[in-house]
Amino acid sequence: MSDARIEGYARALFEIARAEGTLDEVEDELFRFARSYESSDALRSALTDEMVPAERRQAVVESLLGGKSTATTIQLISMVVGSGRGRDLPEIIDRLVARASESKDLAVAEVRSAVALSDDQQQRLAAALANATGRQVNLKVVIDPSIIGGIVATVGDTVIDGSVRTRVEELKSRL
Amino acid sequence: MNLFAVIVGAGDVDPAQSLNWLFPATSELIYGGLASIIIFSLIYKFAGPAAKKGLADRTAKIQAELDGAEQALSSANAEAAEIRRAAGDIAAERQRLLAEADSQASALLADGRARLSAEIADMESRAESEIMGMSGRMGDELRVEVGRLSSEAVDRLVADTVDGATQQALIEDFIRKVGAGS
Repeated sequence: MSDARIEGYARALFEIARAEGTLDEVEDELFRFARSYESSDALRSALTDEMVPAERRQAVVESLLGGKSTATTIQLISMVVGSGRGRDLPEIIDRLVARASESKDLAVAEVRSAVALSDDQQQRLAAALANATGRQVNLKVVIDPSIIGGIVATVGDTVIDGSVRTRVEELKSRL
Repeated sequence: MNLFAVIVGAGDVDPAQSLNWLFPATSELIYGGLASIIIFSLIYKFAGPAAKKGLADRTAKIQAELDGAEQALSSANAEAAEIRRAAGDIAAERQRLLAEADSQASALLADGRARLSAEIADMESRAESEIMGMSGRMGDELRVEVGRLSSEAVDRLVADTVDGATQQALIEDFIRKVGAGS
């Protein structure tokens, strides 16, 4: 899909969420869904298979997110998947998150951790990243067991890697 | 006594009676002799040339046959000599062919042995290099496999050792370091 079209979808979703007054919550849920989508081949193929009717794909989304996410989030994802743009879902959502963060003058900070972070840890981490980057951040936490332990934070082009996985890889390459 | 008287007188003698047991009577000898001379003369005159010609022809024929025989003998001798020479040549050719065959067989044998030796050496060399290569590849594969297993073992070991407390310690350490790094 062209960049303009992705941007168009992102803007539309952003405006709908803002109009519904659930932008923060929807943005967060969409971000988590996008990461799950990226990490799951089965989910990706289920939502992008052109042979599967749009209604079936939307039903998959509703069965996955029903009761766990807001209705707006489910409807937005269903709309994108139903229109046959499931393949571009992560990019659309990332644009939406960036747009939402910009609207609040925040930088998106994607934080990958092997375990969930407490609210207190998220606040302190956001403050620490704000200090490190000089910008207030919109923290997006992704649970990623592949990093084994520690945290990998990405703010714009800056990556701060404190993961056990990277240390182990460095150790292996040195050996 | 003239011849007539002799002839007439002879009529008085019994012709069946011979005066001698071996010789006839004189008159008979004379008549006989004359008649013989006449006959022989006639024969000589009339039959002589023909007989002479016949003898000459026969002599010539015999001479021709003798010549032919001699020529045939000479030709046979020449042919025999040719055959003997050819036999000699055949024997020499046979010897030469046998020698040549022996030489070619020896050369072929030597060439075959040399080629066989070269092929064996080449095969041995290739086999050695293949063994070396295979050994190297197996060593490399083994090293890669050991490395992969070691890597997995390290990952598993590290993952097992990172318990909840360690996770929290790592997170806190990260937050502290990021905050301190500003």
